[in-house]
Amino acid sequence: MEIKKSKEKYDVIIVGSGAAGGITTKILTDAGLKVALIEAGPYFDPADPEQQTQFKPTWASPRRGSSVTRRFGDFHMSYGDWKVDGEPYSSKEDTDFMWWRSRMLGGRTNHWGRIASRLGPKDFKCKDFYDLDENWPITYEDIKPYYDKLDKLIGVFGTKENLPNDPDGFFLPPPKPRLHELYYIKGAKKSGINVIPSRLSVLTKRINNQRGICMFCGQCERSCSVYACFSSSSSLVIPSLKGGLVDLYTDSMVRKVNTDNNGIATGVSFINKKNGKEYSIKSKVIVLGASSCSSARILLNSKSNEHPNGLGNSSGLIGKYLQDTVGTSKQIFVPELMNRKTYNEDGVGGAHVYTPWWLHDKKLDFPIGYHIETSYRNLGMPQFGIGGYIPNDFNKFFGLRVGGYGEQIRKDVKKYWGSTIALESRGGAIPDINNYCEIDENKKDKYGIPVLKFNYKWADTEYNQAKHAQDIYEELAHNMNGIMIGDKPGKDQNYGISTPGSIIHEVGTTRMGNNPNTSVVNKYERLHDVDNVYVVDAGPFVFKGDKNPTWTIMALAWRTSDHIISELKKQNL
Amino acid sequence: MKRRDSIKTIILSSIGASLTLEGCISPLNENVSEKIWEYRYGRTPYEKERDKKFLNAQFFNKSELRTIERIANIIIPPNEFGNINDAGVVEMIEFIAKDWSTPAHNNYGENVLRKGLIVLDNLFENKFNNKLTDCSDDQIKSIFDIISYNDGIEENLKEAASFFATYRYMVVTGWFTSEVGMRDLGYKGNIPNVWDGVPEDVLKDHDVSYDEEWIAKCIDQSKRNETAVWDEEGNLLT
Repeated sequence: MEIKKSKEKYDVIIVGSGAAGGITTKILTDAGLKVALIEAGPYFDPADPEQQTQFKPTWASPRRGSSVTRRFGDFHMSYGDWKVDGEPYSSKEDTDFMWWRSRMLGGRTNHWGRIASRLGPKDFKCKDFYDLDENWPITYEDIKPYYDKLDKLIGVFGTKENLPNDPDGFFLPPPKPRLHELYYIKGAKKSGINVIPSRLSVLTKRINNQRGICMFCGQCERSCSVYACFSSSSSLVIPSLKGGLVDLYTDSMVRKVNTDNNGIATGVSFINKKNGKEYSIKSKVIVLGASSCSSARILLNSKSNEHPNGLGNSSGLIGKYLQDTVGTSKQIFVPELMNRKTYNEDGVGGAHVYTPWWLHDKKLDFPIGYHIETSYRNLGMPQFGIGGYIPNDFNKFFGLRVGGYGEQIRKDVKKYWGSTIALESRGGAIPDINNYCEIDENKKDKYGIPVLKFNYKWADTEYNQAKHAQDIYEELAHNMNGIMIGDKPGKDQNYGISTPGSIIHEVGTTRMGNNPNTSVVNKYERLHDVDNVYVVDAGPFVFKGDKNPTWTIMALAWRTSDHIISELKKQNL
Repeated sequence: MKRRDSIKTIILSSIGASLTLEGCISPLNENVSEKIWEYRYGRTPYEKERDKKFLNAQFFNKSELRTIERIANIIIPPNEFGNINDAGVVEMIEFIAKDWSTPAHNNYGENVLRKGLIVLDNLFENKFNNKLTDCSDDQIKSIFDIISYNDGIEENLKEAASFFATYRYMVVTGWFTSEVGMRDLGYKGNIPNVWDGVPEDVLKDHDVSYDEEWIAKCIDQSKRNETAVWDEEGNLLT
């Protein structure tokens, strides 16, 4: 293969344009550094009418939004899902792992749930509080200033609650709850379960003149054309491109980080997907923000004489300690929500309320808690499948005949529309050296790059966590005068626990620590083995508790960016 | 109907899978080789090509399409909001027959949608000596009155009942995801607006209310355009 070398030398090469790459690009270019930003997918701007799906009615799709080419439906804004054409992966024998990739500018931030939670003080001291193998080498106090700056730069709504492990921030005001959310609040109260306003990265109020304010279409997962919800593309990368310090390489799959005879990184090699040719570019510093598993893959594929196990892998720990969120969910039918008067209840593209973990001091048969998220599109725009396969199946709860056609079916669809509430637990996973991804030596993707093989199993205590959540759903269903739809999953169904990877929260594959023998990067996310390579995605997470990772990815990446700027100034890099 | 009663069990099915196209779909033999793109929404080049291919190909023949239209009109009869044609229901089913003609969908177009028409047609042939489309509305309803219910279905009608359920699913989906069907349903969103809580009369009807302390923290929509400023403790000042 022909390899093209560019003569230009950048200050920094950033791999990946999602949450991590986006904030790093902004902070580094604001400091005047010359950056090459490499993205494996195409250019994407949610404001581009050719790419926009926001506000498109369901009938604009010939398949009425069904999920044939996009796993979460025709209007969902992710190019790629758990399957990407030509980019396979596998799982070891009796294990299963699902790996989501969004190949586009902004990556998964274009479709994410905008849940912008902070890790709490206990999550950083996870060894002390949850009896795990290691604490983070940093504390909440170290990262707090960056969470604060993020809140102000990017925006998040929420409320001050003074909870022990869900720290407050600089919040925009939240939207009022929807009707079914009031039912949830009421039901939860009966069991003494706390419910508070959600914390989502959606602008309910102006924060600057570059971004619009929420129009309450409930479609954040389609990425917002006025940039009211945060996407790395709309809110970080596209504005940064205007400064003239970024060379953006789209449709470019990074194969490896290149090193010299001293083992120092010199740049990266990537394949241009459009012409199939391989290119290499150079820089003083390389920052990987390709997502936890992709960055691990790049490092493991960057073998050389000086780094025979892969770059930065002298500890042999790259790929290890992979964690996804533990999830289990249940739909609840609430008869009191039948025959609803309709009105525009789209709201923001997420639940307006949620339950943070509430049993901190209780002795349970699992160490780490979970939070509960609720459904939000209860009166949302109908999509393919509205009414379900049998539109009046709930009739059986009332001893009425199930089935029929004509005016009766029409009436029944309207009767039951908006009468169900989905509850979903999102719980902390245990960091385990036996949960990992590694290079599958026998398989390459269509660009000739060796692919990943996963090995991931839930621990007994994680099943216990899921069981606890299902018990709570049953109690909440009762409190709402509702009923769980379908059997409550018992031990034989593993309490409905999610397939690892299906919650799309992979973290932990390039663990952070002070000891080079037991971790991959130091507390500034720099490889212990190589001074000029950093990993800024969720790879360095030691643990994430029940929290959604995006806000912490960005806070850490910002902190690392400050460190890189300072090191470059001191000419240490 | 009162907002209170009691219940049992159910499973909602969902469909999703993707794979490359396979199968026996013939291109249109018309002079106009490219159907005008009436579906405008953000597609990737791959998706655009795939959809274009299906929109310019024909799966069902004219007689099959007439059968689907007839069934659809009885499952969801016309009302003041419109009819099955206004809702594009037959076009949607024609498209899905091609869209799901993949191994991942077990060649749904052929194995389910076309086969369903054959099974239903045979049923009418046997009973009334006529194709479904040549039967009267009353004749058709006399059969649908039996096969559209889950209970008391005789063994020899179970297959027909299952195909009926499939078509009902398609027709109900096609109706309520259309412009006219959404009006029928009463869906009022998908437009820029300012959410300021559940209407008062709805709260009253459901016997729920907003907690005052909670509401005090929520967005004052009259100040949404004022740029946010906080004090050092994170208290919003604007």
